Amino acid sequence: MAQTNTQKTEKNREQLVSAASGEIIIEFVKVNKWYGDFHVLKDIDLDVHKGERIVVCGPSGSGKSTLIRCINNLEEHQSGSIVVDGITLNRNLKNIDHIRTEVGMVFQNFNLFPHLTIIENLTLGPIWTRKMPKVDANDLAMKYLERVKIPEQADKFPGQLSGGQQQRVAIARSLCMNPKIMLFDEPTSALDPEMIKEVLEVMIELADTGMTMIVVTHEMGFAETVADRVILMDQGQIVEENEPGEFFNNPQHERTKLFLSQIL
Amino acid sequence: MATIKTMKKNAVTAPLSEISVLGWIRKNLFSSVLNTLLTFVTVYIIYTTLKGVWSWGIVDAVWVAENRRECFAINVDGACWAGVIAWLDNIFYGRYPREELWRINLGIFFLFMWMVPLWLPRVKAKISIGMTTVFLYPFLGGYLFAGGEKGIFMQVMLTAAVVCLLVNTIHSIIGVFSGRSLPEFFASLSNKKNICEKTQRNIFFGFLAILFVLIYVWQMSWNVERVPWTKWGGLFLTLVIAGIGIASALPGGIVLALGRRSRMPVIRVFSTAFIELFRSVPIITVLFMATTMFPLFMPQGFVLNKLVQVIIAVCLFNAAYMAETVRGGLQTIPQGQFEGAHTIGLGYWQTMGLVVMPQALKHMIPNIVGNFITVLKDTTLVSIIGLFDVLGMLRSIGKDLPWLGLHIEPLVFGAILFFLICFTMSKYSRHLEAKLSTNHHN
Ligand SMILES: Nc1ncnc2c1ncn2[C@@H]1O[C@H](COP(=O)(O)OP(=O)(O)OP(=O)(O)O)[C@@H](O)[C@H]1O
Ligand SMILES: [Mg+2]
Repeated sequence: MAQTNTQKTEKNREQLVSAASGEIIIEFVKVNKWYGDFHVLKDIDLDVHKGERIVVCGPSGSGKSTLIRCINNLEEHQSGSIVVDGITLNRNLKNIDHIRTEVGMVFQNFNLFPHLTIIENLTLGPIWTRKMPKVDANDLAMKYLERVKIPEQADKFPGQLSGGQQQRVAIARSLCMNPKIMLFDEPTSALDPEMIKEVLEVMIELADTGMTMIVVTHEMGFAETVADRVILMDQGQIVEENEPGEFFNNPQHERTKLFLSQIL
Repeated sequence: MATIKTMKKNAVTAPLSEISVLGWIRKNLFSSVLNTLLTFVTVYIIYTTLKGVWSWGIVDAVWVAENRRECFAINVDGACWAGVIAWLDNIFYGRYPREELWRINLGIFFLFMWMVPLWLPRVKAKISIGMTTVFLYPFLGGYLFAGGEKGIFMQVMLTAAVVCLLVNTIHSIIGVFSGRSLPEFFASLSNKKNICEKTQRNIFFGFLAILFVLIYVWQMSWNVERVPWTKWGGLFLTLVIAGIGIASALPGGIVLALGRRSRMPVIRVFSTAFIELFRSVPIITVLFMATTMFPLFMPQGFVLNKLVQVIIAVCLFNAAYMAETVRGGLQTIPQGQFEGAHTIGLGYWQTMGLVVMPQALKHMIPNIVGNFITVLKDTTLVSIIGLFDVLGMLRSIGKDLPWLGLHIEPLVFGAILFFLICFTMSKYSRHLEAKLSTNHHN
C-alpha cells in the first residue's frame, strides 16, 4: 500500500503541473452566502482546473457541504460569482439545469430512488434528460455497473443492497450522465469500515481516468493518495490550500495544525 | 421496515400454543378464571345476536309476496325481502327506461374491460391504461348512458375512446401471452431484426390512425336514444357521481397540493384559499350552494342541469380533501430525493412525476382509498337535494303503496351493498400496498 502511495503521488505531481496549466472549469470569485443572519461562506475565492482532484476538509459546520452544493446550485449564493464550465450561475433555470447535467454529485446518504430498481435508477437521467433510447441507456448503465463491480445487482431495489453497494450505485448513477465534474459530499461517512474501502477503490479508479473531482471527506489516506490539492475550511473561510504533501507534513496555519492533530 | 432474513437454524418444534387449535384456544380464551368468564359471556352475546339476525333475515323471512300485507300474513316475525326484490331494478338503475338498461350494463362491462388489464401481472404500460380510463372512458360511458345527438367533439372523443379500448384489450391479451407491449409486438412481426424505436412507434401510430378512421365512419351511423338525467337513479347514479368524484379527486388533489407548495405566490395563495375554503365547509352545504347559488354566478340563459352542478361540487370538494392527503404524502419524501433527482438533471415536472409522486402516492394508498370510500358514502347525501340515488331509492320503497312502511329491510340491504363495495376497496388497497412495497430493508 505504501509503495503504491508514493507511486501515485509522483504521478499526481506530474498531473498537478499539467492541471495547473489546464483550463479553469470552476471559478469562485468573492462568493458569500448567508442562512438568515448566519454567514456560512465568507469571500470564497477558488479556481478548479480541468482534471484536478481537490479534497475539502475541515471541522463540522465549517461550510464544506455548502461550498460544493453551490457548484450545482443546490444552494444559492447571495453575492460574488460562480462560473462552472463557462456558464455563470444565476437565476436562469435553463443554465442551472444544464450545469446539473454536467456536474455529478454523490451524497453521504446515497439518495437513490427506492421505488426504482438499480438499473432504472441509472437509466432515469440518460433517458429523460439526455433523451437516450432505452436500449442504449441500459447498455450504458450496465457498463458503469460493471465499472463499480456490481452488475449482478442490476434488477434489485436499493433497499436490498448494502450501504457500500448503494454508494457505488450512486456513483454509477452520476457517471451515467457522463459528467465533466464529480462532487462527493462525505461519500463514506455513513458506511461501515469494510464498506468504506470498496467505495474508495471505486473513487480512486475514477480519479485515474482524469475526472475533475471535488471531494469532501475525512479520509486523509484518500486525500494523500489522490488529491492534487487539499483545502481546509473553517468558519466559512478557506484557511489553507496546498498540495497534499505540504498540507500534511508542513501545515502553515495554526488552524490546520490543530485540525490535523485532532484527526490524525 | 421488515427485515428479510433467511437464516437456517435447526428447526425447533414450535410451542403447542402456536400450532394446535386446542392449544390456541386454551392460551387465548381460557387462560384465567376471568378470561373464561368473559369468553362465555361474549359467546352468549354473539350467539343470541346472530340467532336473532339469522331467524329474522333468513329463516322467518318472506321472499315471495305481492305486497307487505301478504308478507305479514305469511310470517310477521320475519324480514319482508319480497319488497326489496320487487324494487331491485329501481335500486340499481332508478327510473332509467327498462328497455335501455342494456346500455348501463354494457357501459359497466366496458369499464371492467378497460380496467382488468390493470390487475393482470404481465401487462405493460399500466400507467397509460389508468390514465386513459380516467380521461377517455367518461366519453364512452357518458354517451352510452345519456345518448342523444352527437356533436363533432363527442364523435371524435367517442371514437378515440373506442379505439383506446380496443387497443388496450389487444395490448393486454398480447401482454398476457408474450409479456410484450403492443408496439414491441408489431416490431417483432416484421422480419427486420433490431428495429429501432422510432420505426416501432411509426408502425404503431399508423395502426392507430387506420383504426380511428374505421371506427369514426362506423359510429357516424350509430345512435342511441337520449335518456334525460332526471331518469337516472339508484346505485347507478351513486356510482356515476362517486366514480367521477373519485377519478377527478386524485388529479385535482395533486394539482392543488403542488400549487400549495409552489414558489409562485399567486398560485400558492389561490390553492391554499381553495383548499381551506372547501375543507371548512360540510359537503351538504357545498351541495346546496352548488344547486341554488351556482346558477346565480352563471351568465344569463346559461342553464346547467342539477346533476352536472352536483358532480362539479363533489369533484371540487373531494379535490380539496385529496390535496391535503397528497400534501401529507409529499412531506414524507426526504429532501435528498429532490436533490438526487436534480443532480441527474431532472427538472421540476420530471422530478415530481418520476421520483417524488410515485413514492408519495405509494405511501398514501391507505389514505387515498380511505378518501375514495368516504366519497362513495358521502355521495348518498345527494338524496337530500332531491336526486334519487341508491339511498333515495331505498327510502322510497317504504312510500310505495304496496310496501308502505317497509323501511328496515331496504336499509339493511343498502348496508350490505355498501359494505361489499367499501370492503372490496379497502381489501384491494391492502393488496396494492403489499404489491408495491419495495422497502425490503433500509
Ligand atoms: N438549510 C440551512 N439553514 C440554516 N443553516 C444551515 C442550513 N444548512 C446548513 N446550515 C448551517 O451552515 C453551517 C455549514 O453547514 P455545512 O453543512 O456546509 O457544514 P459542513 O462543513 O458540511 O459540516 P459537516 O461536516 O457536519 O457536514 C452549519 O453551521 C449549519 O448549521
Ligand atoms: Mg456536510
